[in-house]
Amino acid sequence: MNTISQRFTHANTNDVANEINTVHDSLSHKQTLELAPSISVPPISQPTDFLRAHTDDASNPDCKIKIAHGTTTLAFRFQGGIIVAVDSRATAGNWIASQTVNKVIRINPFLLGTMAGGAADCQYWETWLGTQCRLHELREKERISVAAASKILSNLVYEYKGMGLSMGTMVCGHTKKEGPAIYYVDSDGTRLKGDLFCVGSGQTFAYGVLDSEYKWDLTVEEALYLGKRSILAATHRDAYSGGSINLYHINEQGWTYHGNHNVGDVFWDIRDQEQSFVNVDG
Amino acid sequence: MSGYDSALSIFSPDGHVFQVEYASEAVKRGTCAVGVKGKSTVVLGCEKRTTLKLQDPRITPSKICKVDNHILLAFAGLNADARILVDKARVEAQSYRLTLEDAVSIEYLTKYVAGVQQKYTQSGGVRPFGIATLIAGFDKNDTVPRLYQTEPSGVYNAWKAHAIGRSSKTVKEFLEKHYQEDLSEEETIKLTVKSLLEVVQTGAKNIEVSVLRPGNAIQNLDVDEIKKYVDEIEAEKEAEAEKKKPKKD
Amino acid sequence: MDIILGIRVQDATIIATSKAATRGISILKDTDDKTRELNAHNLIAYTGEAGDTVQFAEYVQANIQLYSMRENDIELSPLATASFVRNQLATSIRSRKPYQVNCLIAGYDTKKDQPTLNWIDYLGTQVELPYGAHGYAGFYTTSLLDKHYRKDMVVDDGLKLLKLCLKELETRMPIDFKGVYVKVVDKDGIRSVELD
Repeated sequence: MNTISQRFTHANTNDVANEINTVHDSLSHKQTLELAPSISVPPISQPTDFLRAHTDDASNPDCKIKIAHGTTTLAFRFQGGIIVAVDSRATAGNWIASQTVNKVIRINPFLLGTMAGGAADCQYWETWLGTQCRLHELREKERISVAAASKILSNLVYEYKGMGLSMGTMVCGHTKKEGPAIYYVDSDGTRLKGDLFCVGSGQTFAYGVLDSEYKWDLTVEEALYLGKRSILAATHRDAYSGGSINLYHINEQGWTYHGNHNVGDVFWDIRDQEQSFVNVDG
Repeated sequence: MSGYDSALSIFSPDGHVFQVEYASEAVKRGTCAVGVKGKSTVVLGCEKRTTLKLQDPRITPSKICKVDNHILLAFAGLNADARILVDKARVEAQSYRLTLEDAVSIEYLTKYVAGVQQKYTQSGGVRPFGIATLIAGFDKNDTVPRLYQTEPSGVYNAWKAHAIGRSSKTVKEFLEKHYQEDLSEEETIKLTVKSLLEVVQTGAKNIEVSVLRPGNAIQNLDVDEIKKYVDEIEAEKEAEAEKKKPKKD
Repeated sequence: MDIILGIRVQDATIIATSKAATRGISILKDTDDKTRELNAHNLIAYTGEAGDTVQFAEYVQANIQLYSMRENDIELSPLATASFVRNQLATSIRSRKPYQVNCLIAGYDTKKDQPTLNWIDYLGTQVELPYGAHGYAGFYTTSLLDKHYRKDMVVDDGLKLLKLCLKELETRMPIDFKGVYVKVVDKDGIRSVELD
């Protein structure tokens, strides 16, 4: 299907039409974007191909730019609000670039965004989302809904669709109107509302533990442990996830941080406590 | 002529922008529109020009327009200008739904309409909208009635009851005298019709009334229903006059 | 692969859409609704490129709602709705970044008192059909529909036929699509139906 449509679009490289399009594009600017610096796109026909040639180390190990990828992040809704848990490892190719990355972006006291995919993309656009949310709050005298906040982000990434943005994020928050809410937003432009999401290269491992033990009626303490335990499972099996676990809890009072837990320490504690991970000696 | 009234975005030495003030004059010449808030209803009423003998009344546009499922806008002033402004408001209402995944609040839409009107007082090559509007409705999942007014200058205000257009001063004075808090739906409609009758002599066929209730419930009253209210009011007036008569004797 | 199925019967049009939202190797959501109500008697069901689908459907939805607002609550007919959608896709395919969205539009024409099913693809092909599908669902079910569809069927017959199709899909589709949402469009508007 893609190839067919592409053939048609390429056949249609009409200079006049292109020029008109360019003028149109430069004249029509979205109101929400006015306050943000816009990102210039490389002056080539296919930005994605360009980016792939220079950044994708899977197809070209000699590529000069290695984008930080690989992550496990999760968030779920339960009786007591929302739990957000993430790892902290950044990898560039097979190289561990950092073990202390902060993958939860505090958009405001009631909104958190998680980070998977391109670290720079997530960091930049979620910070930008924070400014948009604040402006909304000032204009409307009311905190922005999680639905609207996530939609601002998804509309933004959709505008850049096909130009190489790489992000998989969960916008989590609590508002009076919606209660606790989680939206999954990725750089395809997908936006899904849900109770439970795991995102990143270690998502399958996290899903395994989380799905099997998840219940709506979890206590806050149980839920925090489950979040931590699911990320631990992913860090254990996914080479691109690791470092430490950052934990957050969101309720009607906003989010609270529940600490940074080093995977090395947490692993042995939980192994002793649960008598699990029996394949690991020590 | 001083010349200060020809170019739009120019102040006169004493701080007037004449074009904007002329726009307000156009509003005063427009047919009257009234809005009244009740306990859990808002009612908009309009003076309707008599259709000419050969005019088709079915396709003569109404002065009370639906902006979204939960918002009505009534205007006084230049009909043609209003069409443009109402269309902008409708587009914004849909665009808001599309981007914020929610219905617009009445206040937001009022602010938007006022914002557009303001823009036309400060840009080159345009003239201000010769209309004032009454914007009424209920926010989503809310039972508080809302009523706002905007002016050609871009000023907006919230009201319990208000009138714009021809003889609005008389109507406003009438409303100030007779308005009460927490009116029932029946009473709100009656007060609206009664206040309009202060300036509309020809009765029900020259009045238009729309009733808004919480939860997208908008009802346009037909002539017979309005006539019922008019007759009731007239009967009351007569009774009142009767009462006064013996005193004179 | 998403499942989008539509069957038109005497008094209504039935739409079934799969509930799974899949990204990569994970099903991210099993309650995803791939339909949008365009107005009281028109429902769009969509499938295609992630992101494009919802953006397109909601854009069309806003425009059709806007039409009703502008024209004093007049509802766009199913044929007009389908033509509008087709035109949007036909314009889009000739643009720099086309929407890759296929859709079915289930409608009920309240003036002519008849249900309609319009099949539209991302190239801008539009056709009125008694039954239709997008994606793999069509490969499994069109033969069944060809065999069992009758012109005089009513909603209950249509739902029975739909169940037959779903049974086949459940046995032969290699990927779990987490069941379907079923919606019926008839003279009273759009409603959800629970299949037992």
